[in-house]
Amino acid sequence: MDEYFNKGIKEIIEKFPEVEDVLNDYDIGCGPCNVGICLLKDIVAIHRLPEDQERQLMARIAKAIDPDRDIRIPRAEKKITAKSEELKYSPPMKKLVDEHVLIKRWLALIPEVVENLDVESEEGRRLILEGIDMIRSYADKYHHAKEEDILFKYFDEEADIIKVMHEDHTHGRSLVKEMLAALDKRDAKTIAANLMAYRELLTEHIRKEDEILYPWMDNQLSTHQVGELFSKFGEVDRQIDVSPGKYEVFIDQLEQKFAPQEG
Amino acid sequence: MEKFEGCPGSRMMDFKKTDEANTGPAVGKIKSQLTQWPIQMHLINPSAPYYQGADVLLTADCVAYALGDFHRDYLKDKSIAIACPKLDQGQDVYLEKIKAWIDEAKINTLTVLIMQVPCCGGLLNLAQQAADGAKRKVPIKYVVVGVQGEILQEEWAAA
Repeated sequence: MDEYFNKGIKEIIEKFPEVEDVLNDYDIGCGPCNVGICLLKDIVAIHRLPEDQERQLMARIAKAIDPDRDIRIPRAEKKITAKSEELKYSPPMKKLVDEHVLIKRWLALIPEVVENLDVESEEGRRLILEGIDMIRSYADKYHHAKEEDILFKYFDEEADIIKVMHEDHTHGRSLVKEMLAALDKRDAKTIAANLMAYRELLTEHIRKEDEILYPWMDNQLSTHQVGELFSKFGEVDRQIDVSPGKYEVFIDQLEQKFAPQEG
Repeated sequence: MEKFEGCPGSRMMDFKKTDEANTGPAVGKIKSQLTQWPIQMHLINPSAPYYQGADVLLTADCVAYALGDFHRDYLKDKSIAIACPKLDQGQDVYLEKIKAWIDEAKINTLTVLIMQVPCCGGLLNLAQQAADGAKRKVPIKYVVVGVQGEILQEEWAAA
């Protein structure tokens, strides 16, 4: 079992598919992750399960890896769920979680935007450009920059979990780049496919951050570091040339446009 | 109906029978982590150099007696002021001093350590009231200590 503790989760799941089901039972959704380089030991640590559940999880994984071994699976005292308590964040992490709210509202609108995609009219192209600007300016420049330029620097950037977050950001940027090129060619199919891919990518990315990464980071940060981060995030907000209010208006208007008509 | 036993803040309790303190690991002389004087809220100057940009503890008087590892786990690398929200007079001065920490000394964080007894909640309320009235925002953490030194709650309040 010890040798698997230091192996990437994707490699383990490929070899022992049952491990994915075991992890799912504890709300650890590593299965769909397309990177999967996080080590099993880090995944267990980062989810901060209650001690009895962690013991049970490890015993079940050991059983899935080596069914012939006589392993006693301990009974968990509490109901299996990693999110039994409401997550509480330090103020800088809460700020990042709050910024996710506007991004999630945009992600929720993407299917409607795709359904009504119009690359021929000026109005249609303007909507696509405004959506791309929301991604580039608010989600990437305003929000992801706080993570990449400040937050991640407090941690080992070679850690698998941080690498995965960087890869998600890079993937998002390449989808945007392709969308802009497709808009020039009036290629609605590529724009639609990339918007949906971006929606899927960011939905999972935000879930990982809200439920796993930020709580784990909060656990590692000292009181002094929390104060520093809060102050640095505030400095970014004061100096950056991105106005969050502009994007709130954009999302408000889009929600009104696609709101179901009454009567 | 339960027998009235008086205010929980001053109710008599004897912990001797459940004493685990003497069975812990033996340690040598513990070095003080206090790096300033004075510490009482009425006596401190909120503009003192050791408060500038500091991580500050606002600690209820009883906390350091209840919490065995207070110096190592909480006081280390911090500046401090102590107060009793139940017995101290003139707490409006405290309010102004906390505001001055935030706005003028530009403290990095404020950690409020209180006992579990109801009257101690007043110190956290005071800190939050001061923070609400300050121009700057700082992260505020609160720690609730049980009467036998256990940490009952340790959380960040909204900044």
